Amino acid sequence: MSKAAESLSRLHAALLLPSPSDADSLATSGITAAQPEWLREQRREALARFEEQGVPTRRLENWKGTNFAPLEALSFTRAGMASSNFMSGGDGIDIAIPETEEPAATLVFVDGRFDATRSGDADKDLPAGVEIKSIADLLQADPDRLRPLLAQLTDTKRQALTALQNAFIEDGLVLFLEAGARLIEPLRVQFVSTGSPDGASASFPRLLVVAGENSEATLLTEHVCAGTATGFTNYVAEFLLARGARVEVVEIQSESAERIHVTSAFARLEQDAHFDSHVFTLGTGLVRSELEITLAEPRAETRMRGFYLGRDAEPSESQASKTKAAGEKLPGSHIDHFTTVDHAAPHCTSDQEYRGVLGGASKGVFRGRVIVRPDAQKTEARQQNPNLLISDKASVDTKPQLEIYADDVRASHGSTIGQLDQEALFFLRARGLGPDEARLLLTRAFAHSVVGGITNESLRSTTTRRVDAALASVGALSSTNAAATSSGAPGSGDHR
Amino acid sequence: MPDTPLIQIRDLHATAGDTPILKGINLDLYAGEVHAIMGPNGSGKSTLSNVLVGKPGYEITSGEVFFRGKNLAEMDPEIRAREGVFLAFQYPVEIPGVANTYFLRTAVNAIREHQGLEDLDAIDFLTLLKEKMKLVEMPEDMMARAINEGFSGGEKKRNEILQMLLLEPSFCILDETDSGLDIDALRIVANGVNQMRSPDRAMLLITHYQRLLDYIVPDHVHVLSGGKIVRSGDKDLALELEEKGYGWIEQGEGASA
Repeated sequence: MSKAAESLSRLHAALLLPSPSDADSLATSGITAAQPEWLREQRREALARFEEQGVPTRRLENWKGTNFAPLEALSFTRAGMASSNFMSGGDGIDIAIPETEEPAATLVFVDGRFDATRSGDADKDLPAGVEIKSIADLLQADPDRLRPLLAQLTDTKRQALTALQNAFIEDGLVLFLEAGARLIEPLRVQFVSTGSPDGASASFPRLLVVAGENSEATLLTEHVCAGTATGFTNYVAEFLLARGARVEVVEIQSESAERIHVTSAFARLEQDAHFDSHVFTLGTGLVRSELEITLAEPRAETRMRGFYLGRDAEPSESQASKTKAAGEKLPGSHIDHFTTVDHAAPHCTSDQEYRGVLGGASKGVFRGRVIVRPDAQKTEARQQNPNLLISDKASVDTKPQLEIYADDVRASHGSTIGQLDQEALFFLRARGLGPDEARLLLTRAFAHSVVGGITNESLRSTTTRRVDAALASVGALSSTNAAATSSGAPGSGDHR
Repeated sequence: MPDTPLIQIRDLHATAGDTPILKGINLDLYAGEVHAIMGPNGSGKSTLSNVLVGKPGYEITSGEVFFRGKNLAEMDPEIRAREGVFLAFQYPVEIPGVANTYFLRTAVNAIREHQGLEDLDAIDFLTLLKEKMKLVEMPEDMMARAINEGFSGGEKKRNEILQMLLLEPSFCILDETDSGLDIDALRIVANGVNQMRSPDRAMLLITHYQRLLDYIVPDHVHVLSGGKIVRSGDKDLALELEEKGYGWIEQGEGASA
């Protein structure tokens, strides 16, 4: 077993085998012996699957674009931050949670665990039929309610990191929407990762959305670091949409260069359900973001939007001296988006557009799988992946994958790798804008076509601020020649 | 008339790509003057306007252009713009995702900063914008849209004139601003241009047709052919051209050579 797998398994032992003699592990895991047997069994099974597969390597087809070895280099000393005095806010730890300038209340999870003190009253005044719970609370109070819902969309046999997450489930957010319930004011959730003083920390935040028939919800999930927070965030989100349910989710990933981030999001849509996903990768570290959507019943619809910004890392002061001593530089963003949309029923629509801006020495990877099953006639599937390279050291690797087994289908895909429009750039300069300002304006415009797709106005303005701040920090957007690789079928195609 | 021309073009030779297009242009424009340059397709009209604003791909191979005594070739395009050189483009570019209002305010402030003036805040800018928009009869909803996105040909040209009105350049070049305009749009555009006529400002109208000159009456008319000015005169030259066609000039040139 690899080093990382070993140290993660060691941490995990406390979750599986709580015993009075292991009081220390218990305290750090935060899990009490009261966990239900089915969950313990699920953990055992999941851990076994993880250990079989290990940390993904580039030998796997779905991981060709990304070297996940940096995870192996981490030595974990802490899984989550679970001491009970921390939960009461009396931990004495000064967590500089990035400012949320919005007036709206935010639910805060620190290292995957609900932080009631920092969350304020975000869970108050919810509309009728809308309920939010922490997984930890439910496991204590009503575990049977969770049992048929949790980890229903995950596949531990082929997703090692998701298996690992399943093994580590401690806490997270559950959003229940009764039939017809409407959560119009967006629910804002912040997942904060903190560091460990003597090594790397791992956190396992989790989200479960159970949307009843014709219910509606809008939410923002944001991943940030308090400081450097060297370590690993392994986040899993599951969305279960019953008939006619509509869910819009915006996810913003802005963790530090020192933290490896994995998002694995799964959605299953029943008839006439609508799922809107907007993912923004703005951090400077290694990110793998998976989105797997199953259009299980007729007339389900999904819009999948993504924006990723690759750039060089800006090391914090303490980190700068450390890396200087080690004589190495942080590598900058490596962003790997892997999407799957499974058209399992007729008359479903998927509309996918991921846009990338790659600066510095960053690398972007996009793999988009569209599967149209034999009886999924009248499918409409669109996939676009335009990329903008703004540095000659940046690169992007894009590959659409269409697997179409039905014959009455409209499917199109296209990926482009380009640079800023020289005509537009000149036009702006001819009106007095300096070259850097003109490039920033055009780059923002490129990004804003994704941001502009967010239906909810307040989330759109939050996201605009986040994206603009990230773009502004790229600094002088270089116009030099950029390198591009494209495997599979670059360009675009139509399949009818 | 001031002693020094605002613009001095001296034996200007220039290439577009690798092709020599301009072959020795000499032209002085004094403040307060409106000059029209006419000529058949391929005579070098657009190359001249592109060279003046420093568009990449157009290169001065010999000769000079002075703007207020400064050598234009030594200025980047944005510096020329900030100094007061403005080209109303023949084919205005569409820029999806950049709102017109935002762009216009950024441009106005870039020029104000260069002049040592304070930035206009959103409210002052909006007041100014509304005032100028009336001059080109532009509906307000066009400002919330992206630059030229989904604009008709006429709306794009009006947007160019609006930019000129806002930026108040001292040297305005209008490159075939009349092309593709119906008579109403032409009147609106010409009206905007006439608003800009002033003793401090010089204008260069580049056009294929005489029609525009009914609305904006030039002080001087020049005919460009084969990369050179082959004839200069007053507004009557344009009427003569309209009547006799460019063949007349080209033949005349051939006959005199």
